[in-house]
Amino acid sequence: MSVLIQDLPGAVGPAGGTRDLGFARYLAIRFLLIIPTVLALVSVVFFLMRATGDPITIAFGDRLTPAQLQVKLHQAGYDRPLLTQYLEYLRGLATGDFGRTATDDQAVSTVLRTYGAATAELAGYALLVAVAVGVPLGMVAAVYRDRAPDVALRLLAIFNYATPVFFLGLLFKLVFSVWLGWLPASGRASIDVQLELRNQSSTTGLYLVDALRSGDGAAIVDVLEHAVLPGLTLGLLVAGVLMRLVRTNLIGTLSADYVESARSRGVSRFRLVTRHATRPALIPVVTVLGLQVAGLLGGAVLTETTFEWKGLGYELAHYLSARDFPAVQGIVALFAIVVAVTNFLVDAVAAVIDPRVRY
Amino acid sequence: MSRLKPPRTAVAAASLAALSLAAVTACTSTRSPAGSAAAGSSSGGAGARPLIIGTTDQVTSLDPAGSWDAGSGTIEIEVYSPLLNTPRGTSDVAPDLAAGIKLTGPKEYTVTLKPGLKFANGHDLTSSDVKFSFDRQLKIADKNGPSSLLYDLASVAAPDPLTVVFTLKSANDALFPRVLSTGAGFVVDEQVFPADKVLDDAAIIAGKPWDGPYAVGTYDKNSLVSFTANPAYQGLLGTPKVKDVDLKYYTDASNLKLDVQQGTIDAVYRTLTVADLEDLRTKKGVAVHTGSGNGIRYIVFDLKTQPFGSATKQPDAAKALAVRQAVADSVDRAQLATQVYKGTLTPLYSSVPDGITGATPSLKALYGDKKGGPDKAAAAALLTQAGVPTPVVLNLQYNTDHYGSSSADEYALIKTQLEATGLFTVNLQSTAWTQYGKDRVADQYPVYQLGWYADYLDADDYLASFYSPSSWVANNYTDPTVQALITQEETEPDAAKRTALIQQVQDKVAADVPLIPLLQGSTAIVTRDSVTGVPATLDGAYQFRWAELSKQ
Repeated sequence: MSVLIQDLPGAVGPAGGTRDLGFARYLAIRFLLIIPTVLALVSVVFFLMRATGDPITIAFGDRLTPAQLQVKLHQAGYDRPLLTQYLEYLRGLATGDFGRTATDDQAVSTVLRTYGAATAELAGYALLVAVAVGVPLGMVAAVYRDRAPDVALRLLAIFNYATPVFFLGLLFKLVFSVWLGWLPASGRASIDVQLELRNQSSTTGLYLVDALRSGDGAAIVDVLEHAVLPGLTLGLLVAGVLMRLVRTNLIGTLSADYVESARSRGVSRFRLVTRHATRPALIPVVTVLGLQVAGLLGGAVLTETTFEWKGLGYELAHYLSARDFPAVQGIVALFAIVVAVTNFLVDAVAAVIDPRVRY
Repeated sequence: MSRLKPPRTAVAAASLAALSLAAVTACTSTRSPAGSAAAGSSSGGAGARPLIIGTTDQVTSLDPAGSWDAGSGTIEIEVYSPLLNTPRGTSDVAPDLAAGIKLTGPKEYTVTLKPGLKFANGHDLTSSDVKFSFDRQLKIADKNGPSSLLYDLASVAAPDPLTVVFTLKSANDALFPRVLSTGAGFVVDEQVFPADKVLDDAAIIAGKPWDGPYAVGTYDKNSLVSFTANPAYQGLLGTPKVKDVDLKYYTDASNLKLDVQQGTIDAVYRTLTVADLEDLRTKKGVAVHTGSGNGIRYIVFDLKTQPFGSATKQPDAAKALAVRQAVADSVDRAQLATQVYKGTLTPLYSSVPDGITGATPSLKALYGDKKGGPDKAAAAALLTQAGVPTPVVLNLQYNTDHYGSSSADEYALIKTQLEATGLFTVNLQSTAWTQYGKDRVADQYPVYQLGWYADYLDADDYLASFYSPSSWVANNYTDPTVQALITQEETEPDAAKRTALIQQVQDKVAADVPLIPLLQGSTAIVTRDSVTGVPATLDGAYQFRWAELSKQ
């Protein structure tokens, strides 16, 4: 988790070469903190998974005798001391070897590569929705402070981030797929398009990119159709947070002395909001967006399952139910790395753009 | 602080955001309910649309040596062939890749192959491939594979390209032909598969080692797989009526249901809930087909820890038997089938389900009203006669994460039925499957729920699996007479005599009642109205054979 070290008002930061060295040390410490963060998380997952059963019993417990089950558990190495298994796992992790899945015998790295693109694409759509909805509506709420539009938008924001993501997803499906029939209920593309994209000579796994590369307009529309509901569902979760944040910050900057000063100089209302007040109000949004990555990945598990969006979240749910240790550990490790690296980048960006950060 | 009037531009910005969303939505409103945007790019060829099947059963591996699960089996039965298979309309086995099979010695089966067999990749399919396939199953013995089914196979020889000789460990093994028809008996291409390890799916797809009715085209594991009819196939099932099939995978059965309802997919097999099936029956354009299934559900008594069991404070075999029989008198299977499972399951009166050769409803004539219904008076008389004080306390365990959420309703109703007699007090408890599996074999559960589906379609799979001392049920039931009968039927070459032995086993265990069969599963296939040929695949084989289906 990132921690911003902020100056007290009026404090003076280091300057020149000392400042550069301090910045480098700040980044190095932040970067090194990624290791214990990831290690702690994968360790917790390692032991928790083994406390909830094993993939062999889940798969064959309803047809093999206890002796036959024991043979299979031995074959898989799950009867070895837990510490031995843990050290072996850490050794593999240190060399970038995530192992092979227990239930479908794939390299975990292949699973991460194959399904990671889908999750990245969904996260991209969600961030787009979050910014496109959260920032403008937050601005409107600030401008209409304590008036009807503001109240309505604040309620909307609370609804967005308080509503469970799977419920919102089901609601959207019911309205837009079942009742209105406007949008597909599930999947990343229709079967024909999926086959068409899959059969291209090279693919990125990002369907929109692949569809654009194919130049097939129908495929592009099809991919976008399938992206609307999952993107909205996951994006609105973050949009609610952004809406509240932008509103609060904008209200603060609109009452700042320099804005009052600008107003007294006759600056137009439009320029006052967009040029003078909004930009400073958006600085914390960068930080919050970074922090929301963890929320997005958590939300992705439910969103992907709700919409059959075959990404890492979808696979995580599948492998969890099968107690597939290597697969779950691999996916969680990747999630942990993504969150930790994102937080590192956010800290770095915040240190660059926010002069109050001291290092 | 002074208030600002809302600038028009801010309102415009918000409106723009809303309009953008509306525009994205609006541009999608042209979607047809049953089609896709790229509807013209059918993979069926010659204007034929592929048959699209939906499933939630995930694939473990396409290598028959590395998988033994419903998801992998769904694909494997379409792309690989065994030597023997189950022909349409029966539960028996007949030659598939084989031209014939003979018992040529007490421990020896000789199989002759059809001449001119080929894999889809053009390689010849000979006895060498058959020997290779069985040898590698035994050598790899993968933790996820079915090699344990080949427990009686000692060796395989291929004296000439069309002849395979199987040498068994025990004499007169009447079950071995059945085992040849299972996933352990799929014949694979020795030029594609390694002898000592499971092959990766990507390498299998690249090698095209298909000898079943279909060949895999595009393979996106557990996402989307496309198939096309295999022109090299000469097996029992014949040329597929529909050339192209797409198999789409789902995690959530509700999405699967919605897609078949809206016509996005054509058929669903196995994976819908009772409530979904009931709902789909009312939908226009959708047909729900049901046939018998090989899955069964039953209650097990642990003979050590059940009331008056051998490890309790008051062990008494006669009283323990009376308790078991009184429970058998009291359960109302028909009510369970109709009230909980809405008729998708049927009452079961033997551990061998209806449709399997030799199945005999032995419990029907012995318990309750002797017509299949419950009888409180009969139960009370049994307990009184044995001197069992009532109410008898039954600690009954069930499971919902393995045997389905309906288990909760099923066992709540069983509790109601038993307590309505005034003879029992039932303490119900549910436990997660991983713990359940350990506890039940450790004699922690006096009475508990189990289920079973067949490895191969033979009564023995429902008898030896339950009533042998080393059975997976592990409820401490051992009876020398039953064991002797099971051994006899397993080695009896004469079909009529074997059937009689199978019936004797069922009668004997019905009297001892160490477990109470409750319900037999059904096979449900949901299709769009445009799909025909489903009834042909709803037979005793319990397999969804795509080759039988057509799409209008």
